[in-house]
Amino acid sequence: MIGFGNPGRRDDGLGPTAAERLSARSIPGVVCDSDCQLGIEDALACAEHDVVVFIDAARRLRKPFTFTRVRAAGSMPAMSHALRPEAVMAIAAELYGKTPDARLLAIRGKCWEIGEGLSAEAEADLALALEFLEEFLKGVRP
Amino acid sequence: MALARKITIEPVTRVEGHGKVTINLDDAGKVIQSRFHIVEFRGFERFVQGRPYWEAPVLVQRLCGICPVSHHLAAAKAMDVIVGAGPGKLTPTAEKMRRLMHYGQMFQSHAPHFFHLASPDFLLGMDADPATRNVIGIVALNKERAVQAVLMRKFGQEVIQATAGKKIHGTGAVPGGINKNLSPEERDQFLKGAPPFTIDQMIEWSLAAIELFKDYHGKNKDVVDGFAAFPSNHLSLVRKDGALDFYHGVLRAVDAEGRKVLDDVDYQDYLDYIGEEVRSWSYMKFPYIKSLGKSAGWYRVGPLARLNTCDYIPSPLAQEAFEVYKAYTDGKPNNMSLHTHWARLIELLHSAEVIKELLFDKDLQGTKLVKKGKKVSEGVGLVEAPRGTLFHHYRINGDDQITMANLIVSTTNNNEPMNRAVHWVAEHVLAGKSEITEDMLNRVEVAIRAYDPCLSCATHALGRMPLEVELRDSRNNILTRKVR
Repeated sequence: MIGFGNPGRRDDGLGPTAAERLSARSIPGVVCDSDCQLGIEDALACAEHDVVVFIDAARRLRKPFTFTRVRAAGSMPAMSHALRPEAVMAIAAELYGKTPDARLLAIRGKCWEIGEGLSAEAEADLALALEFLEEFLKGVRP
Repeated sequence: MALARKITIEPVTRVEGHGKVTINLDDAGKVIQSRFHIVEFRGFERFVQGRPYWEAPVLVQRLCGICPVSHHLAAAKAMDVIVGAGPGKLTPTAEKMRRLMHYGQMFQSHAPHFFHLASPDFLLGMDADPATRNVIGIVALNKERAVQAVLMRKFGQEVIQATAGKKIHGTGAVPGGINKNLSPEERDQFLKGAPPFTIDQMIEWSLAAIELFKDYHGKNKDVVDGFAAFPSNHLSLVRKDGALDFYHGVLRAVDAEGRKVLDDVDYQDYLDYIGEEVRSWSYMKFPYIKSLGKSAGWYRVGPLARLNTCDYIPSPLAQEAFEVYKAYTDGKPNNMSLHTHWARLIELLHSAEVIKELLFDKDLQGTKLVKKGKKVSEGVGLVEAPRGTLFHHYRINGDDQITMANLIVSTTNNNEPMNRAVHWVAEHVLAGKSEITEDMLNRVEVAIRAYDPCLSCATHALGRMPLEVELRDSRNNILTRKVR
């Protein structure tokens, strides 16, 4: 699990918060990491696992969360210090020859101003997302 | 009056945050004006007001996902002053742990910048297909170097984790000291870890990176020397004896010829020497040296500036590389923007050497971690962040709450130089052309990328924000507008 985003910008901290709460549950076989943004070093971490779930906040979602496959893509986003999940997977494939099963859990956020703590709406959506994720993990664990 | 063309590049790729480049040409294709705009509003200084001062070193890290340690340490240094444990008063363990943290951060920042942000332009060419002129293209071209860059970044991040307690938003530095030392086990993972994850390997790869650049430079001297080269002042911290020092020192500034404009300045008094100009078209301010005035007082910060202001580098291999570097300009300041990459790689090597030296220092296992003295209500902390000099200035009230915060981040210090670099490209590459090509536009970005700007710091921007492109005529009427 890699949760990314800025906890200093309210709901942009959904990713790291999700990773921290999952980590606290100590699910066997699951490693959790959090960061402000994805970088090239995350490709190494992804290559060392069979299943990777990126967790990030999302704007303008109509439902609490979405869960989609991440396919390696060579195109770069506008900011490349901060890579998109697709670029991380492309680097993992190119550098290490690994293509783990990768997903993106995008959780609906509402507040983005400078500040700490999730909004009440984001907390509710996070709870639903984590419930879903735990079920998913039961299905993929050995 | 016939319409003038306005070219806008939005956003600037491969840097942090968002920026907009606008170039106005008249009908003859001559540059009327060029600007590098920052469109996001700053708010962090107000956010920290009212918070207890001891929270500042943790809070300010949220400004940026790339250089949080720099903010952490600059804020901690300011708070050291406030708690009566200013420069020279920390315990040896605290000072050296912070230095190890800081040099780890320099190492993990400089390595990926060159390999994955700047080198696509050098190794793939400025005219290469934009779809592959990026880190993925570098991976395909030179897998070995790409793997090394990943491990170098990871190494630096592990150093940060061992010193700050966490990879991001660490809590290692506290007002008056540090909250942990380095255990022998933590030390040995860097000295004796499984190859290639050792400090000796990092030094070797850093040396190879310098040779890579020199090889490219040797084959492309005209471009590397001439591109966006312009005279400027240069500012940084230097150690009291003139040595390069990223963590602490006195302020020094030199002009384009090497004459000292500021020297041996205690940065607690920075307001007496540095002003900040506000311009209507950008939210980012324009710092300047007061004694030179607003129009002549702008300056560069960062690797190029640091190697212009310092007298020597206090680590043997980097000093050797520095002597070769300085000889190229006959000992005079280097004003060639793309030589920033050369300077950055020398700093990468120096960071690795300092990390190694510190790892052998038994003070890192010391147990005296915090010192405090008489509290005062104001403190300034400066560090040399990867991108340049970083200023943090705070005032507190009787209830220990922050009442004022002023941050001058590295990228803000480089605001005018980046604008000058854009203007150089506009005049030398874009002016007079009947067609604007992708590679022309990329040259504008190459000029900006040399400064490794972090617009998130400068603007406190969110990772994802809408971007706006406006095309205006010479009467400032909007011709077209696009939102991404």
